[in-house]
Order: sequence, then C-alpha cells, then structure tokens
Amino acid sequence: MPRARRPLRIAATVEFASLLVLLINLATVHLPEVSSLAGPVHGCAYLVSAIAAARDPRGTIGVTAMALVPGIGGMLALRRLAR
Amino acid sequence: MTKFFLAAHVLAAIIAVGPVTVAASMFPAAIRRAQAAGPADTASTAPVRVLHRICRVYAAVGLAVPVFGFATASSMGILTDTWLIVSVLLTGIAACVLAFSILPGQDTLLAQLGHQDPPVRRSSTVRLAMFTGLFNVLWAVITILMIVRPGSTTGA
Repeated sequence: MPRARRPLRIAATVEFASLLVLLINLATVHLPEVSSLAGPVHGCAYLVSAIAAARDPRGTIGVTAMALVPGIGGMLALRRLAR
Repeated sequence: MTKFFLAAHVLAAIIAVGPVTVAASMFPAAIRRAQAAGPADTASTAPVRVLHRICRVYAAVGLAVPVFGFATASSMGILTDTWLIVSVLLTGIAACVLAFSILPGQDTLLAQLGHQDPPVRRSSTVRLAMFTGLFNVLWAVITILMIVRPGSTTGA
C-alpha cells in the first residue's frame, strides 16, 4: 500500500532539499549554475506542494496557509494534515 | 552549463508534451467508442484507461520542462525578455488547462463510462476535445515564440 500523499511528500522534500542546496551554495562556492538549476527546482516544488496541499481532501484554510510558507511550507502542511 | 539546461529543457518538452498531445487527442473518440460498445466490452474500455494514464503520468513528467526552462533562461540572463515572459504566461495557462480542465474532464468521463445515470454524452466529449485543442494550440504558440524570439537578437 503506497504511503499517503506521495505527491505532496515528494514536493515538500524537494522544496526543502533544494532550499538547502541554494543556501549552502550561497554560503560557500556560490556557483551561478547551481543557483540557476536549484532555484527553479525550489520554485516549482513550492508551487506543486502549495497546490497539492490545497487540493488535499483533508485540507483546510490552515493547511493551505501553512503550505504557502516559503521554504518549509510543504513540510508544515504535511505535519498539519497528519494530525 | 547553459547547453545542458537547454538540451534537458527541449528533451523534457519532447518527452512530456508529445505523449499528452497524442493521448489527449485520441481520448474523446476512444471514450465515445467505449460508451457505444457497452460496459462489458473491455477491449474498448482498456485503451481509454491507458490513454488517461499516459496523460496523467506525462503531465507530471512535464514539470521538468519549466524547471529546466527557468534554469536555461537564468543561465543566459534573459529572464526579462518579453518573448520569454509571454511564453511563461502561456505555459502557465496551458498547465492550468491541463491540470484543471483536461485531466479532471477525462476522470469524470471515465467514471461515467458504462453507467446510465449519467452516461458519457457526446457533448461532454466534444467539450473535452475543445480544451485539448486549446492546450495544443498554446504549446505550439510557445514553441514558435521560443524559436522566433520576437524582439530579441538571438531569434532564428
């Protein structure tokens, strides 16, 4: 049986991981190529997790608001939905 | 690195948009045939489900297209070019048509297949075909914009 909310789970993980990549890149070598790729990945993951959280059958306004938080919104929304 | 991003962007576009175009275009006629054949005829219902599955899976694959697209544009420093901004907006509209109109429409018709109340009506399939055609026109315009690049010095 597949784990529940796989799309949201994947998007939230990618959102957070790509943010880490961006920040570590910024703090260390600051390669523009890394920013160019990780930036759009992070942005798209943010959009996907926000939409996935909003469309969840158990979603409320609070869940959607959590999901819209930049950077970690997907993870926050998942925690809310699991409660 | 730009070469890699652009190559990945175009490859992803070919792999993701192609199947959706074909499968979504075939879906309305296929489900009309399945409805006419009756609920017991799996030989005509199975293809309809496969077509929907292709649309769903490759629509998700299509997320890679804007990701690499933005990567390419950012790498080339052309994020503010008009033709690109227009293309991005049109892509957003096409994505909305696919996610909120075509895929749910296919889902609804699949659920109605074989039932009497309501059955799959021709008018519903025609409407779905209209939105599918709209999606196709949008991505075709985007492709042309990205080749011609009006207002840019780098257009073909």
